[in-house]
Amino acid sequence: MSDPTPDLAPTQTPTGKGNHLLSVEGLTVRFAGVTALSEVSFAVQPGELFAVIGPNGAGKTSLFNVLSRVYQPAAGQITFDGRDLLSLKTHQTSRAGIARTFQNLGQFPHTSVLDYMLLGRHIHMRSGVILGGLFLGQTVKEEKQNRAHCMRLLELLGLERYYKYPLGTLPFGLQKRADLARALAMQPKLLLLDEPVAGMGLEETEDIAAVILDIKEQLSITQILVEHDMAMVMGIADRVMVLDFGRVIAQGLPAEVQANPEVIRAYLGEESGGRTAAGEPAPTDTSH
Amino acid sequence: MAFFLQLCFDGIALGCIYALIALGFTIIFKASEVINFAQGEFLLVGAYVVAAGYYQWHLNFFVAILVGIIVTALIGILFERTVLRRMIGRPVFAIIMITIGLDTLLIEGVSVIWGTDQRPAAITSGLLDVPKVGDVVFPADHIWAIVVTLVICALLYLFFRFTKYGLAMRATAIDQEAALAMGINIRTVYALAWAIAGAIATIGGVFLAIYGGRSLNPILGSTALLAFPAIILGGLDSVSGAVIGGIIIGLAQGLTRGYEAPFQNIIGTGFDQIAPYILMLIILFIRPYGLFGKRKVERV
Amino acid sequence: MSKAHIEGGERGASLAAQALPRFFGTASRRAALGFGVVLLALFLLTGNDLWLSIANYTLIYAIAALGLNVLSGYTGQISLGIAFFMSIGAYTAIWLGGQPVQTPAFIGGKVVVTSLYGLQLPIYVWLPAAGIVAAAAGALIGPTALRLKGFYLGIVSLALVFIGTYIFSDVSSLTLLTGGPQGRSFYTPCNLFTTCDPTTQGNLLFSNNPEVFGLALSRQQVFLVLNFLILAVAALFVGNVMRSRAGRAFQAVRDHEVGAAIMGVNLFQAKMGAFMLSSFLAGISGALLAVYTIHVSPADWSLLLSIQFVAAIIIGGVASIWGSILGAVFIFALPRVIDQLNILPVNGTSTIQSGDISAIIYGLLIVIFLLFEPGGIVGLIRRLQILAQRFNQIRRKGGEPTAISPNSEAESQFEVEQTPLSTGEGTQPLAE
Repeated sequence: MSDPTPDLAPTQTPTGKGNHLLSVEGLTVRFAGVTALSEVSFAVQPGELFAVIGPNGAGKTSLFNVLSRVYQPAAGQITFDGRDLLSLKTHQTSRAGIARTFQNLGQFPHTSVLDYMLLGRHIHMRSGVILGGLFLGQTVKEEKQNRAHCMRLLELLGLERYYKYPLGTLPFGLQKRADLARALAMQPKLLLLDEPVAGMGLEETEDIAAVILDIKEQLSITQILVEHDMAMVMGIADRVMVLDFGRVIAQGLPAEVQANPEVIRAYLGEESGGRTAAGEPAPTDTSH
Repeated sequence: MAFFLQLCFDGIALGCIYALIALGFTIIFKASEVINFAQGEFLLVGAYVVAAGYYQWHLNFFVAILVGIIVTALIGILFERTVLRRMIGRPVFAIIMITIGLDTLLIEGVSVIWGTDQRPAAITSGLLDVPKVGDVVFPADHIWAIVVTLVICALLYLFFRFTKYGLAMRATAIDQEAALAMGINIRTVYALAWAIAGAIATIGGVFLAIYGGRSLNPILGSTALLAFPAIILGGLDSVSGAVIGGIIIGLAQGLTRGYEAPFQNIIGTGFDQIAPYILMLIILFIRPYGLFGKRKVERV
Repeated sequence: MSKAHIEGGERGASLAAQALPRFFGTASRRAALGFGVVLLALFLLTGNDLWLSIANYTLIYAIAALGLNVLSGYTGQISLGIAFFMSIGAYTAIWLGGQPVQTPAFIGGKVVVTSLYGLQLPIYVWLPAAGIVAAAAGALIGPTALRLKGFYLGIVSLALVFIGTYIFSDVSSLTLLTGGPQGRSFYTPCNLFTTCDPTTQGNLLFSNNPEVFGLALSRQQVFLVLNFLILAVAALFVGNVMRSRAGRAFQAVRDHEVGAAIMGVNLFQAKMGAFMLSSFLAGISGALLAVYTIHVSPADWSLLLSIQFVAAIIIGGVASIWGSILGAVFIFALPRVIDQLNILPVNGTSTIQSGDISAIIYGLLIVIFLLFEPGGIVGLIRRLQILAQRFNQIRRKGGEPTAISPNSEAESQFEVEQTPLSTGEGTQPLAE
């Protein structure tokens, strides 16, 4: 059967144009009279851990929705792995190598953890309706192999004993972890993490932060992280981009960004969730 | 030419009846986001109650209509309070199915109480006239159907524009949570929506029964199903679309019925019954959200 | 969580081997199968014609209910169009397998004595063809219909039923097959064993009773075995689909389309796959219904029939194979059973039909189940199972049970059966 170390790395090595795996230029997104993103430009290097932060409503999830091709931007260009991302449809982004975790997790409450993982393996499996219905040779082999792969992944994240639980029955932190496992099951080149530690306590946050670092260092998967938790972000990110009202107000190394007066003003102007840069818990705000 | 005018007039009259049904449906949908599959049956119940009031209890025609309105409004409010209140947050499929359940119960209720044989529809002397102008016949009930529809549209316009509750309903239709936050009593809004829809359905039912040979039978409800193409044409969430859609469907039906005779050998005699559906399919092919509907933005 | 965690993981492999659910891997599934076989044998040997007939109808309808569940229960696509696809299957079967019938028919506005089509091919041609043609119809309609969601799709499918009834009643070229509004008879001169005798008005062994294992079987009994086998194969197939890649995609489409697309599911392909499988099963069911009842007319394939099927899967249990079967039992066996038991009250001049009573019952049940037990009867059973489990836990531990830990019985239900009607994208939750 397959080798003992699960092959979680992307199925092909990325062929980034120049040095960038992802390059976004002049991205503008509008809907219902609101401009969610305005002239956003940034680039992400292969293997990098790139963080996007900003107050609530700054447009962070909109950015992910464009990258997942759920939203159609009003303007802008996006190049991913040498191709024009905007020419892809939603379901093609995963085959192109983009996997994403979800911010809110009420979407598949009745699906078991393992089935959810297997959904992540959808693009790596092949049987359709007829082959599935017959459930012979190829399908059986495929099912066994992919289940094994998923179980190993679950083990890595400490979730293997929950594999039969419907997602909705798990506490939120475990659901988020299962979602991360599912995204890893997709063997992406680029992993989009949408608030992976939202609602978690200190210990769980540290666990996930360690996993994220492991993903970077062991698997060399590029990651874009959207988060409110400043201490965590500044601790692990390579570079940070700050959004406010859909505009980029700062971009660069964590230390630079933290010291940027624009950034400080944007954050002091309202109560934001998570911890402040000084490490004290701020009043939580759940209105994202 | 006279023939064409006749068809148009008849078609518009029928279309106004469809418009009434579609209106009621759209009001419920806008206020509470419920898709009321049973709207046609409200019409049926309304028509039967009015007939019962007029013939069995010997009420005045207009009093009978009032009774019909009250009964259907009550059924709607009751259904909303006891059943739909508990279905909040459920998938659309479930809500549609539960209104189909109501639909089944209403049809069966009518069949059981009043039997399935044809009964005379409630009609008053003023609606019996059939004046002619040249070669075109203008049955009084057709004229009244058009007039009443216009009046109801005008009344609704005024209601939504200028009254406190109308404003509340519009606010709720735009954003329920915001409306709630502003102190609007959503319960009242829902109840009002269902009451208005029921009332309009009753009136539509009375006219439809007269239009269709002045008789009632439980099949009336499925004639009212033709209001659905009207709703789809107009777009689920557009009030003016409902009215325009209704009239278009009525016209299409009338014209088809008039001109299908030469093609009888190929397409038979029932084409006018499905012409609205074919029209609907064609429109949906071009504009999936209807002529006036708005595309919903998906959020993840 | 350290770096060491990323490497290794031999332990997982053994768990994985356990994790592949075997179709008859649970005791309850095996019991169900055994129960079904026993029931079948009982019916075969002892049933009188009446109860055999009820059983036959139920089995045939269960196949279509299964098809509807594939589309609506598992994939979440509302459809009132199942009657239409059944009619496609029926008329394909009649066209390929039927005997030409001399009949007075109302065609093109006149009464005409005419010969209605029929190619008299054997069952192993017309039955699969019925399914395939129905699936092809689904493939044609799918691209338009499936672009729409929710209510729009529901109305389009409703329109299909009306258009279908009209086409089969009125369009003159088709009425030469269907017999127009008053319908026609479906006689097939070929029996199951493919010997064809055009001189008789045969109907799958109507005229000559064959012997199987030394038992002379009546027409009802032959049909019972045939219907049972087809239903069993269909159920097996659908069950397999749902525990494989395609089935997971279907259910993801139902639960959260956009999320499914983000994970790589091609929404259109998934919906088309479900639609075609559903239509295939509906076509098979329609064909069997036609050959079993012998006489069919276009009005049989009505909106009411479609609604009955939707009621069946809600009451039996959406997204559940057993639910489809139980639902069919409920909706289609019930009126016939009521008829037999003679319990109808007489109301004034008109007797209440068994159809009326059962319509009221299932109208009420739709409402009640959707309100309180969206998983249908199957959901109810599962809930009772969990309660029993908790009860046992309390007894054994003598105290409060810990959070439900799925054990092999109840939780294996989770593999294939879900309760998609209890949560999901719906009307806005209102804080009151």
